[in-house]
Amino acid sequence: MSNKHGHTSNTTVQNQLIRWINDTGMAEGNKKAGLLRKVIEVLLHQGSQMIPVYMENILSYISDKNTDVKKQVAYFVEELSKSHPELLPKIVAQLRLLLLDPVIAVQKRAIQAASILYRNTLMWICKGDAEVSEMKHVWEHLTELKLMVLNMIDSENEGIRTHSIKFLEEVVLRQSPGDIVDAESSLDSLPSDVPFINRKALEEESDHIFKLLVKFHNSQHISSVNLMACMTTLCSLAKFRPKYLPRVIQALGDLHTTLPPTLSQSQVNSVRKHLKMQILNLIKQSTSNEMMPQLTQLLIDIGMTAQEINKAVPKEKRNKRLGEIRNGDTPSKRFRIDSPQSNSQGSDSNSRSEFMYDDDSQSSITKPSATEDSILEGLNSVDNVVNLVMKTLQNCLPDNMPPSFINDYKPIPNSGSKLQKKNLTKMLMSLIRGESENTQIVTQSMEVDTQPPQTVLQQSLSDIAAKIPLIREDDEKTTLKNAVAKLQESTKDRQIESAVSKLMEETRQEHLKEEERKAKEKEKPVPPPTPTVPKLKQKVKLLKLQEITRPIPKEIKQKLILQAVERILNAEKDAAIGGAEQIRAKFITIFASSYTPETRDLVLNYILDNPAERINLALKWLYEEYAFMQGFNRHPVTLQPKLHEKHDQNYNQLLCALVTQISERGDPVMEGCKDVLLRKIYLESPVITDEALDYLKHLVTEDQVALLALELLEELCLMRPPRAHKYVTSLVCHVLSENEEIRDIALKATIKVYKRGSEAVKKVIEKHALLYLGFISLNHPPPELSSTRTRIMWNENLHKLCLNLVVALFPEKEGLLMEIARIYGSSGAEAKRVVLRTIEGPIRAMVSKDLPDNEFDEDDATLRPAFRELLENCPRGAETLLTRLVHILTEKVPPTAELVSKVRDIYATRVSDVRFLIPVLTGLSKREIVAALPKLIKLNPAVVKEVFNKLLGINGTYDEQSPVSPAELLLELHLIDPEKADLKYIIKATALCFAEKNIYTQDVLAAVLQRLVEEPKIPVLMMRTVLQSLTLYPALSPLVMNILQLLIEKEAWLNKVAWEGWIKSCERLMPASFGLLTSLPAAALGGLHKAPGLLGGLRAHVAALPPERRAALPPHVAALCHQTDTQYPASQVTMSQPNLIPEQNPIEPLPPGME
Amino acid sequence: MSDLYVAVVCSSNMNRSMEAHAFLVKKGFNVKSYGTGEKVKLPGASADRPNCYEFGVLYDEIYNDLMEKDKNYYTQNGLLHMLDRNRRIKPCPEKFQVCNERFDVIITCEERVYDQVIEWFGSRRSIYNQPVHVVNIDIQDNHEEATIGAFLISDMVTKMAQSDDLDNDIDELLHEFESKCHRPILNCIMFY
Repeated sequence: MSNKHGHTSNTTVQNQLIRWINDTGMAEGNKKAGLLRKVIEVLLHQGSQMIPVYMENILSYISDKNTDVKKQVAYFVEELSKSHPELLPKIVAQLRLLLLDPVIAVQKRAIQAASILYRNTLMWICKGDAEVSEMKHVWEHLTELKLMVLNMIDSENEGIRTHSIKFLEEVVLRQSPGDIVDAESSLDSLPSDVPFINRKALEEESDHIFKLLVKFHNSQHISSVNLMACMTTLCSLAKFRPKYLPRVIQALGDLHTTLPPTLSQSQVNSVRKHLKMQILNLIKQSTSNEMMPQLTQLLIDIGMTAQEINKAVPKEKRNKRLGEIRNGDTPSKRFRIDSPQSNSQGSDSNSRSEFMYDDDSQSSITKPSATEDSILEGLNSVDNVVNLVMKTLQNCLPDNMPPSFINDYKPIPNSGSKLQKKNLTKMLMSLIRGESENTQIVTQSMEVDTQPPQTVLQQSLSDIAAKIPLIREDDEKTTLKNAVAKLQESTKDRQIESAVSKLMEETRQEHLKEEERKAKEKEKPVPPPTPTVPKLKQKVKLLKLQEITRPIPKEIKQKLILQAVERILNAEKDAAIGGAEQIRAKFITIFASSYTPETRDLVLNYILDNPAERINLALKWLYEEYAFMQGFNRHPVTLQPKLHEKHDQNYNQLLCALVTQISERGDPVMEGCKDVLLRKIYLESPVITDEALDYLKHLVTEDQVALLALELLEELCLMRPPRAHKYVTSLVCHVLSENEEIRDIALKATIKVYKRGSEAVKKVIEKHALLYLGFISLNHPPPELSSTRTRIMWNENLHKLCLNLVVALFPEKEGLLMEIARIYGSSGAEAKRVVLRTIEGPIRAMVSKDLPDNEFDEDDATLRPAFRELLENCPRGAETLLTRLVHILTEKVPPTAELVSKVRDIYATRVSDVRFLIPVLTGLSKREIVAALPKLIKLNPAVVKEVFNKLLGINGTYDEQSPVSPAELLLELHLIDPEKADLKYIIKATALCFAEKNIYTQDVLAAVLQRLVEEPKIPVLMMRTVLQSLTLYPALSPLVMNILQLLIEKEAWLNKVAWEGWIKSCERLMPASFGLLTSLPAAALGGLHKAPGLLGGLRAHVAALPPERRAALPPHVAALCHQTDTQYPASQVTMSQPNLIPEQNPIEPLPPGME
Repeated sequence: MSDLYVAVVCSSNMNRSMEAHAFLVKKGFNVKSYGTGEKVKLPGASADRPNCYEFGVLYDEIYNDLMEKDKNYYTQNGLLHMLDRNRRIKPCPEKFQVCNERFDVIITCEERVYDQVIEWFGSRRSIYNQPVHVVNIDIQDNHEEATIGAFLISDMVTKMAQSDDLDNDIDELLHEFESKCHRPILNCIMFY
């Protein structure tokens, strides 16, 4: 069970791992590092059996871009070396790559990992359960690693140096024979049978590296952190490898006397403190017993009291140490006298050091030939010492005790001991040797109380150096060749070094002095204008400013200015807290506007770093520039006038820089407030330059900000009226945009601006409108219409595009109608069609706007001036437009008298098209209508229908009296001269009339027929109409009978067409018509043959007549009846009769003459 | 903010380190606080009778204990307020010498504490060879100074966090800081 469980959990771990490994490959930056970390953790702690499988995946990230990722790899290597040393052969090479990484952080991590790896490798080799070849492979790599790190101790980077020191400590520790405490990880544990490891060589190497460390530790230019790291390393080496202890103590002592000159006071404090801590730490070690006196001495030198030291020393050592102190044979009193002198020379009271070399009393020791021994001898003589002290007391002691003395003074605990005397001798010696300029050394020596003088130090250094060549002779040390060479080189010229160490002391003193001076200067915030008299008894020398100062070079000045401005810029928060915000802003604007271009850039970048918050500053600056541009402000004379000759350029450049940077930076933070910022700049800056305006115009073509830019343009026009006429051009041009949305917005905005704008603005807009309108009369679209360079052809959309502005403006300014008409007149057919279509809406809207007024007093309705003008001076070619206009005008209201008369005039003089009259038909006189009628009916059937509707008042929305009544109309149609209009048109027209049964009622038709029959000449269509009327209204038969009768009188048979109609009518009116037939003259009867039905009916009728009546028939009638009797059986006739005889109206009286 | 791992250490992990801890946490730093003393010592009714607690006793327990002892007095001298603040930051005072964390920077508030930290490092062998910067800035153990100290520490840590290569910059950084805050700074580098 447990096995199974274990198996499944393994699988899940593995799955998880694979997922993470995959994710790592996809992820970026810190996320990647995080994932990698997880992968490594799981691999190391949960899935160690999978390490060989996935190790490569992780190691491959060694060349990743991300620092953290690479650090993780270093960590992985480090951990593997600990937990899976058998993999060392595979990973050791990777670490080398990491060590060579260009990123310092990675290098450091690699050095750290290398030290761990080094330790673990040695342990692995110690175990000795691996293949010798593998071990050798690892070892070779390791040796290379070692050499690389060894060279890194000279790196430029302090961190790398620090890490290298630690690495070297590890190496020294591992390669030196250990003691009982530390047996497992020292050289002793290395197997002696491994062929490639030479124990002796390793030990020598470690010894050599140790020397290198000591050398580094005591070098002059070591930084404080490195120094302390080195100190710690040396002490820990001394702790674990007691054989190094004396040398370490020596090195620490040397350090104490000659601190690197580059350290600042506080670093000196830190270093001293560290030194103390490290020595105290050493004292506590059991291994340090033999060196106890030296250590205690060092502590005393540093300035610890016996009590303090005693406290720090472990109990078991204490007694021994105290005993030693008591061994000092010289009375402490003597040295007490001496000590104030030396202690008074604190590091911070250099001024008093002079008296030392003024002292003539020391004649015996001022001889250059004086040796250490002679001085020591002198010191052993009490008289000499007393003399020395007395002289000093008399001549050189200050009147008051310097405050530093109290702080620094510490009684010398082992005064009078041999050691102290020796130290004192050395100090005096160096004092004597150093000439007057070397005073500082003395001070230093005095300050640090009793310390070994430099000569000893130099000696020890050279001792070390002397030993080194011996090591180098060893052939097996080739790997360290480079490092050794370096070391050797530096140690060889020890003469130089001794000089250098002297110099170093001087430099350090000077450095301290400098610091002190600075500190003093700080204490005096307001230095007096004239140099003060030096406190020392020097000759008073009056200084003139011009003599002692030199003007700062221009470059430096400018740099200083920039730095100052930068500081002010960076003090945003501080200024806000301190309430100096306004003043700061004022300053910045002045700097930015009046100083060098660099300053401008600096401030501009500062603003653009966070424009949302600094926009007000930007505006302030803009105003400042504006003031300069307008001459409200003047630059101070001192500020390079040449540079500012182009004030307006500065303003313009700033404005443009602001808007372009804000809109184009693409900073995600800025993106959000871009519109606010742009709006603010455009609306609040004092003036918008042409360039800025152009940029805004350009922005409209940018997708994302197009709407914003349009809005801004609109607002600019509305909010900044004085220059609106300038801004509006940028807005107007977008009504031609290809983008519908932009076009619409631009159009709306333009109209809005037009409505509110001044005359100038209006003029500009109108000008543009007309310009665009003018495009349509061109043969080819102008370039303004196409965004590309390619030539495009006109199409409906393009036409509309050109028209949209003018059409939109039209309701605001009707006067444009005339212009439209003018262009219309000269445009092509397609353009005309588009114009007609687009202009219709606005005109109609305008007309309907007038309606309410006209409802009350129709008589007053006058034409709008624009319309009147067009009617009066219609441009050539615009007649169709005019027609359309008139149409629209009369759509809802009857044409006014004025309109009618105008139209009439135009019709008479210019437009011959009768269609022009249609709209005003109802306003024309009957005569005119009649005159136009032949032309009207020739038109398109639909138009004709409309005309008739108008004339007949059908569908008319308004109540009006047509000048022609329906009856008259029909009559006139009949009277149209067939010459003028083809008969078929007239027929069609009459058909239209007949279709209107509501109007052409029985009565109307009756009247028409009545009138027709009265015409002197029978109209061509009369009989047709009669027949049709009869079909519609059978009740008209009596009238028709009457008409037929009248026609007989008119001898209608002479007119062929009419007679045919007459016969047809008779056919219809059977049997009533038989009476008529019988009364026909013989000449007329011939036509009857063509109507057999009628003839048959007639015969039947005649046959049915009583004989007396039959006898009364005229002979030609009787003959007719007999002729055809046989031909037409009566039965046949009767068959057809029922259809013909109008039986439905039996009660209707017969027409006159029928009885 | 940055991956700098910071420890603030004072004697009792009560006032100075906690004030700075609170401040740094608010600024988004990865920070812990410790004490190096033998015991957690708080002022008592008289100077010679301080209130002593073991590290690990909850701030809450100390709070309640003092409340019982003399609510008025400890309210007036601000101790209760301080404990209340502390218990909202973490449960109990922690002793530096027993923690197993590895920091990038350790900031001590007093030279004695600095010594103890260095001593502790001296008493053990470095295993990881990972460097740590130990920095001391003297802060007197009272409320006002603790607040000022927290500001200074925060300033310093902010500067450190801004550095791309702290190991390389620390000398200069501390030098600058020292001249700004007019307090002596001690620093050294130790290894875990």
